[in-house]
Amino acid sequence: MKANKISAIITNENEPAGLALLTASRPLPALFFDCKYRLMDFALSSVVNANIRTLLMILNERKIKSVFDHLGGSREWGLDSIGSYQYVNFYQDILRKKAEGKKYLANTIEFLQKSKSTYTVIMGSQMLCNIDLKAAVRIHKQRPEKMSVVFKREVQDKIANEDQILEFGADNRIIEHGRFSDVANKTDLYNLCMDIFIVDTEWLIEALYEGQENDAPASLIEFLVEQMTKIPTNGYEYTGYSSNIFDVKSYYQANMELLEPENFNELLFSSQKVITRTKNEVATYFSPESDVQSSHLATGSVIEGKLRRSFVSRRTSIKKDSDVEGAIIMANGSIGEGATVKYAILDKNVVISPGVKVIGTPDRPLIIPKDSCIVDDIYGG
Amino acid sequence: MVTDSDHPLFMKNEMLAMILAGGKGTRLGKLTQNVAKPAVPFGGRYRIIDFAISNCVNSGIKNIGVVTQYQPLILNNHIGNGASWGLDRLDAGITILQPYSNNEGSKWFEGTAHAIYQNIDYIDSMDPEYILVLSGDHIYKMDYDEMLEQHKQNNAELTVAVIDVPMEEAPRFGIMNTDDNDRIIEFEEKPENPKSNHASMGIYIFNWKRLREVLVNSANKDVEMLDFGKNVIPFYIKSGDRVFAHTYNGYWRDVGTIDSLWSANMEFLDNESGLTIRDKNWRIYSKNPVAPPQFITEKAQVKDSMIVDGCYVSGDIEHSILSSNVQIKEGAKVKDSIIMPGVIVGKNAKINNAIIGEDAIIGNDAIIDGQTEIAVVGNAEVVGVDIDEG
Repeated sequence: MKANKISAIITNENEPAGLALLTASRPLPALFFDCKYRLMDFALSSVVNANIRTLLMILNERKIKSVFDHLGGSREWGLDSIGSYQYVNFYQDILRKKAEGKKYLANTIEFLQKSKSTYTVIMGSQMLCNIDLKAAVRIHKQRPEKMSVVFKREVQDKIANEDQILEFGADNRIIEHGRFSDVANKTDLYNLCMDIFIVDTEWLIEALYEGQENDAPASLIEFLVEQMTKIPTNGYEYTGYSSNIFDVKSYYQANMELLEPENFNELLFSSQKVITRTKNEVATYFSPESDVQSSHLATGSVIEGKLRRSFVSRRTSIKKDSDVEGAIIMANGSIGEGATVKYAILDKNVVISPGVKVIGTPDRPLIIPKDSCIVDDIYGG
Repeated sequence: MVTDSDHPLFMKNEMLAMILAGGKGTRLGKLTQNVAKPAVPFGGRYRIIDFAISNCVNSGIKNIGVVTQYQPLILNNHIGNGASWGLDRLDAGITILQPYSNNEGSKWFEGTAHAIYQNIDYIDSMDPEYILVLSGDHIYKMDYDEMLEQHKQNNAELTVAVIDVPMEEAPRFGIMNTDDNDRIIEFEEKPENPKSNHASMGIYIFNWKRLREVLVNSANKDVEMLDFGKNVIPFYIKSGDRVFAHTYNGYWRDVGTIDSLWSANMEFLDNESGLTIRDKNWRIYSKNPVAPPQFITEKAQVKDSMIVDGCYVSGDIEHSILSSNVQIKEGAKVKDSIIMPGVIVGKNAKINNAIIGEDAIIGNDAIIDGQTEIAVVGNAEVVGVDIDEG
């Protein structure tokens, strides 16, 4: 066994119901973010930036195609080279095995044993951040606890009812945890569990063996959350930029927050690069009539209209005299001449016909589903 | 029945491409101080050699040798294992050919044909029927497979791609005089009184067996055979070899000078290049950097320009191209200019009619004005000193 080797498990087990409209045609990790990313890029990049090359992904089998389309051979993340080991398992398969009384955690255990790692990092899919896992593991190593959990001090608005809130005792150990909806004491900042755990691999293997015999949760994240008060668990505070994406509003806000240069720099311009699948596209062209401010754009687009506080993904065309504000436009969109799009999320391949108005509100952005062609005005909010 | 020879691994390499990328590009001055001409950035997203490599891939050529000599580091890094062009497959590959020494001495190249002669070992190991010789410093889209088909139909030993240039410009080119069947009967290098306007594009298809014989025999007999234009083509014509012209009608630019590099970029921006760069059926591929989306801030004004990933724009951009990871600070004005990757333009700086080399830093309030002659700032050059962080 190589000393101090680290393996990683990225999971997408239970997807937040509040995102159903956006995750109808893709699982959560494949959701577009900031013009050119998918949510999975953030966890994956954190993993490879820490030089972790042994990875298990526990994915949701629903609409899995988009995940594999994006990953390809995972060349971009450097996970296709010799010495890397990638393994995929499906959460529904684990659930089925559990229902059939089979050894449902056997695949996860086998991965951990084969990884020959000393430490394992486990990450969920809903918290978007750019975490330095090397530093987190370094701290974990110095602590006597077999498990560390990453948390962030977060305001109420950024926490979902289902999220876990942690309470610490002396020595930075967790003494209590519970769902946010069950928290009785209101405060300004809560210790939000970021669904990122660092554990001693040996301990996890044993705990999963034992759990499998005793009806432990099929979800690895739920399993680890249960363990937090069963064994001494250390808290590791993440202080960088993060977003908790659990419903449409939080997804919309997470994008909009990146228009603040500090957030953008912290998440995307840090020394830890966020890697995504590369695409060959031409530079984005801004016509003489275009008027663009406070916006992010990917390449391959042609902009002739007005753009404010918006996000434009690849291969999008925005025709002249159009007025786009507070919009998130996923790849291959088309905004017709003189059209108005305000406070809306346009899924992939959406066409807004010339002159049509699509208007939502900042609190309730309109969602236009994938592949739709809009020919009549829509007002929402 | 499937035999071994049908398997892609055993299939003979029909045509091997050799891209000559060793030139210094002296006329590009500061822009090629630390980089070979084919690695000079173009159109915001590309390096010049991407056009030749992508044309090869789109033409169905699976093996490419890139002959380098002058300052190859950036070029090597750009090409890597060819994955950006899908050349990292089982039966494909791109090989960087750097001069090396052996018992007969070192193998530096003294001309285009000499560069091929020095790499005979590599070409033999690929065992091609034909070799396609290309320059790595032209901007164009061309189907080499069409040229090969014509080469075969003509039963030619050598086919030279030609483009018709205006008669008054013909004296600047190598001119091919042809008969009615496109057979080249005479070659004139930069003729004072040209008989035709068929200019050589520096693109050749040779039957490898014959070219090998000519190069080896000449070397053994100490006959000078260094350059395709000067020596090889005239020798072929004199020897009665079948030499044909293949006429190309599309957009083609040699970007060997500051002026031509600047205007080719501007034609690209103005969509007047006829390159149909957005055409998905003939894509130009490049190595893509890991970079965030471009951020156009609330202070920015962008008109008639091209911008790519990783750019952070707070100034005014007019009729210009920004390459990857360029930062334009507040109050800066960039007009009619090409900004290469990694450049930082400080607050209130003014850039007009210029090419700013890779990773250059233009300090606050600096003025780069190329009104009379295109201004050039070299790679990693620093103009002015003040630069505000953030």
